[in-house]
Amino acid sequence: MATEFIWQLPVASDGRYGDARAIRRGERDGSERSVFSPGVSDPRGDNFNYFDYLYQVARATDLAGFDGLQIPDDPDADESWIVAAYAARATRHVRILAEFPASRGSSVFAAKNAISFQRFSKGRFAWQIGLGGNELQRRWYGDHLEEADLLPRIEEFVTVARGVTSGKKFSFAGRFFEVLEGGFGGPLSAYPLPPVYLSGNSDAALSLSARVADVHIFDALPVAQLRPAVAHLKALADQEGRKVAAGLRIDLVARETEREALFEARRYLNQSGQQRTVADPAVGSNYWHGLSYGRNGAAASLFGDYEQVAKRLAEYGEAGVESFILSAVPHLEEAYRIGELVLPVARGLASAERRLAA
Amino acid sequence: MSIDIFWRIPTHGEPRHHRARTPYRGDWFPGDETRREPGIAGDGNDGYTYIDYLAEIAHAAEISGFQGGLIPTFPSTEEPWVISPFLARETKTFRFMIPFQPGFQNPVLVARATASLQRATGGRALYNIISGGGGPEQLWWGDSIAHDDRYTRTTEFLDVLRGVWDGGPFSYRGKFYQIEDSGLPSSLSREAFPEIYFSGSSDAALASASKHADYYLSWLEPFEQLGNKFKRVQEKTAALGRQIKTAVRVDIVARPTEEEAWREIQRGFENVDKKVWEQYYASVQSESVGAARQRSFRPTTINSYKDLIIEPNVWSGFSLLRGGQTQGIVGSYEQVAERLDQLVALGAGAFILASTPHLEEAYRVGEEVLPLVRGRSDETVLRKVA
Repeated sequence: MATEFIWQLPVASDGRYGDARAIRRGERDGSERSVFSPGVSDPRGDNFNYFDYLYQVARATDLAGFDGLQIPDDPDADESWIVAAYAARATRHVRILAEFPASRGSSVFAAKNAISFQRFSKGRFAWQIGLGGNELQRRWYGDHLEEADLLPRIEEFVTVARGVTSGKKFSFAGRFFEVLEGGFGGPLSAYPLPPVYLSGNSDAALSLSARVADVHIFDALPVAQLRPAVAHLKALADQEGRKVAAGLRIDLVARETEREALFEARRYLNQSGQQRTVADPAVGSNYWHGLSYGRNGAAASLFGDYEQVAKRLAEYGEAGVESFILSAVPHLEEAYRIGELVLPVARGLASAERRLAA
Repeated sequence: MSIDIFWRIPTHGEPRHHRARTPYRGDWFPGDETRREPGIAGDGNDGYTYIDYLAEIAHAAEISGFQGGLIPTFPSTEEPWVISPFLARETKTFRFMIPFQPGFQNPVLVARATASLQRATGGRALYNIISGGGGPEQLWWGDSIAHDDRYTRTTEFLDVLRGVWDGGPFSYRGKFYQIEDSGLPSSLSREAFPEIYFSGSSDAALASASKHADYYLSWLEPFEQLGNKFKRVQEKTAALGRQIKTAVRVDIVARPTEEEAWREIQRGFENVDKKVWEQYYASVQSESVGAARQRSFRPTTINSYKDLIIEPNVWSGFSLLRGGQTQGIVGSYEQVAERLDQLVALGAGAFILASTPHLEEAYRVGEEVLPLVRGRSDETVLRKVA
């Protein structure tokens, strides 16, 4: 698999430069009062909501040269498949990676919907199956499964969905899902299941990915710690006779100079109220653990000038990461910045490395 | 109150006539699962797929004055939950009528997805709740419960959906669903709840419909019988303390003259192939009461298309031409409009119309027939027609 750079869609909210407060561009949030002074007319009325902004970010990823767009499953945000379909229609090239829990319902029905998605988007849909949040959030969904059963349910969900898209009649009776003589006919039979992304840094999560995932996404770790984890994943997959690509979820603060990046990072941290729990990293390391944008933020951020950030990404690539899920605030402006100034350098370094290795 | 008229989106590809199987648009044809090579669009190389043709139809329907369209789902067709958000941005007034079986998805997820669709479309989503045709089909879908239980589940599903819609906190202890302190997040809980069209003819279905549905949706049946059915539905729901409106889903062939319309039917009838006739006579077993009701009006021997005319302007051979329901209205623009007005007089408050090909016919029906339909504009006229 060629290295892919995926941008995260800020489904719950975004921010602005120099202001860490969560905002939803385009959305009035029920308030009738304009932010303009009474002396200035506001033409917007209720013609827009947050979808109009999400549409722009989706298009930005396509125009700025990303390979994919990730739609997180956030309980306070719009539902990820609806957003994914909306974003798919707005784009031509990017892979649309939608996160959702295995509690969404019949996996056969999900697979069938995925096929329509593939047919309309020319095979750009991909699944990221998550746990469905913490226990409270799962109960909110009427999902009362024990913690220990969450991964086994994901495994059955994928097994059934893959079975009914295999082109042969498929029957299965498991603990969570059941299907008899399933499988799609006619033109629908020509479509395999979307690529499956799973995540988590635990041993159980890695084992599950080794058995059923196409891509396993790690939470951010320094490259020295991630390298052995990736090797472990590959070894587990080998034992299953499978290939699983490694992915990394990390945020970026990239500016023309490292000083500017550090300034932005500190300001964001101060404004977001995280400063007491997160230590300032050493200048030159470019890795800030705990610096995280909003609720869908990664476990860490890379900060630095464009060259530095690109190099760090290439180091992860060298450690075996082939799929990056990135974000930065504000997501529209930063999609262009990262797409124009960081990705070309990172891609250049990655291909230079491949040439050296060959 | 005025009536609502919807169109239909062919989720399964379509030919360019009622009476022909080729050329077709899309890569699917009812009853033929071997189709692969797509017609017109969707070969994967030109940048277009079948959704682009569906977008054409949705746009034609909204321009021609339809409320929106039913987006039907079958085991081999595209899914309305995907089509609707795909077409959200390029339509303005088209309302997406999504049929679905409640058992296939988590109700809180459906609430969330629907609220999101409302936000993406400016409140243009609505439901057609179906509870399944039964038989082996349910387990094929990964779903295994008995017929009457399905309606209990449907009722519970809609209880939960409504319960969480405005933000909760909502708790529920049902046979199928147990929810604690749930509710849509504030960003999603300000949307209008979707209208519900409910399908299903059994007593269990009616009990469920009476609790949650806005419209009871039926296929066309002989007029008098359909009127009686609507009365029964309304009595039953009134007894449960609710009011329900009724709607008819019907195919039409409308032409400038009656003669042209029947000629269209005749040509289609004469080209029905042997395999389709065998299927027609085979009367496949189904748990669906609605399908059985329609079948029971079929003559046993058929020599001419005329044998299938069961009352003025009603032909019961549509399933021979393109699968699906059997009875439809055939006639001049004026006759079709008049028959629709008769259904209004019998209680119909909404229609889902369809004709093949759906794109061109959306314009024809919108321009020629809809302006002639009186609907509920003049109650004295309605009484006269009835």
